[in-house]
Amino acid sequence: MPASIHRPVITGLGFITPIGNDRAAVTDSLREGRHGLSRVEWVGNPDLPVKLAGTIKEFSVEATHPRDWTWPAAYPIPRETLRGLAPHGVFALCAATQALADAALTPDDIAGDPYTGLFCASAGSARLLHHHLGQLDAARGERGNPMGVVSSIAGTLNFNLGAHFHIHGAVCGFVSACASSSHALGYAMDEIRLGRLQRIIVVGAEEHNAETLLPFSSMRALATTDDPALASCPFDGRRSGFVGAGGATALVIESAELATRRQARIYAELAGWGQSSDGYSIAISHPEGAGLRLAIQRALADACVSPAQIDYVNAHATSTPIGDRAEALALRAVFADTHAAPFISSTKGLTGHPLSAAGAMEAAFCALAIDGGFTPGNAHLRQPDPTCDGLRLPVDSLDTAPAIALNNSSGFGGSNVCHVLRRFTP
Amino acid sequence: MPSPSDTPDALARFPREVRDAFALVRSDQAPAALRLIIEAALRDYLPSASPFSKNAPILDEHRLIEDLGFDSLAIAETVFFFEDIFQVRIDNQDILALHTVGELHAYVARRLREQNKTA
Repeated sequence: MPASIHRPVITGLGFITPIGNDRAAVTDSLREGRHGLSRVEWVGNPDLPVKLAGTIKEFSVEATHPRDWTWPAAYPIPRETLRGLAPHGVFALCAATQALADAALTPDDIAGDPYTGLFCASAGSARLLHHHLGQLDAARGERGNPMGVVSSIAGTLNFNLGAHFHIHGAVCGFVSACASSSHALGYAMDEIRLGRLQRIIVVGAEEHNAETLLPFSSMRALATTDDPALASCPFDGRRSGFVGAGGATALVIESAELATRRQARIYAELAGWGQSSDGYSIAISHPEGAGLRLAIQRALADACVSPAQIDYVNAHATSTPIGDRAEALALRAVFADTHAAPFISSTKGLTGHPLSAAGAMEAAFCALAIDGGFTPGNAHLRQPDPTCDGLRLPVDSLDTAPAIALNNSSGFGGSNVCHVLRRFTP
Repeated sequence: MPSPSDTPDALARFPREVRDAFALVRSDQAPAALRLIIEAALRDYLPSASPFSKNAPILDEHRLIEDLGFDSLAIAETVFFFEDIFQVRIDNQDILALHTVGELHAYVARRLREQNKTA
């Protein structure tokens, strides 16, 4: 895309994550390497090999009826909104509410504004879909919950949040598995740059219940240890799979001119993005990371930066043997082979892997790092995989801020998306 | 059909008197208790934008849409609530014929009588 006069910037962040439910808590966890993994027991079976998940604290959304849920009192949710929400919809609504407040915007500021949009990403609620279909099946199709569809299918976030916040500019959902919210952010950047919209709320969210995460155990993709330090250890030779996670992250993206005009705090500029497809396997990364390498190169080109200008990479690395290896090879091809040496870390060592929500969450982490003056580390890295030779993988966080950061995401089917974020200068 | 002592999950959040009323209705001991359940459900599903005062008595002649402020989604939710707790099917054409609280009460009472006969 040619250079645009409309530069997308991040002006608000909202976090409901395993490592904290607000910006300060998340920043502390990232700086101190504090994980958010907890023991879980699913479907009443203590013998399942999966013992850990990245869980959300202060919320109780396990019941199938929304009226039985509890969440922090700081987020009032009217019944008309609650009735259509999935458990992760509550996370998303709270994160979006928090992001708007962080951006010094009131609900009235965005309600009915034709230039404010909403882009969301989640896999839907397998838990509620299972429940509602079970109810329909038990009644032999004769009766079902009228909110069953809108609360459970992929798109539930856009339906609900779009109506709740009275979004008029555009509402859209993205489904590309673990690259979903990265796609949402990328296309949000384009909408701003094209001048079609001036503000977009980007939200990624997922649930951490059995219905969402246990199917990954059937794929043999989940870590099976109950030791948090070993369970999620991206790039480590001892890694055995990922730790599933839930939560939500919301980002308020605005054109720089709008943000400047209303004197908003700007965390970072979204300088460019790129995507590619492996075209190789439905679930396995390309063995040499070819697709991810191309997406990185496209993102760098879009942002007009060279590999040597990248200070920090927030890697997608989920702690799976094949995926981390592919990403390490892609990073070596782009950086080590060109003698560039950015710091690289996967914050999934702390959060676990929140699937569709990962890209938005980690882009927000990059914004925190740029704005907050630190670089996240690889908290559980002890024995780096030999494929990581030549890559700078700090264990502890660093007290230096990246000026330019790269955020990687990859999803099923070989969908790769990368963003470049940089410190904003008018 | 559930036994009289079974309390549906959907009633768990209601006050004890409503759950007791359900048990009475289920055992066919006090059909009048149905009115209490219907009023509790209408108050529970009353849209927050409704002009109807939350503390005002709900009368048989009150119209669901014009007086209580229900929209089609809230009516669908309320109907499903009755379907769920009483395990009955309520058809669309029947819903369209229900305009007032009294008509709703009479309709649900009739369906329960029919259900008891066929049980």
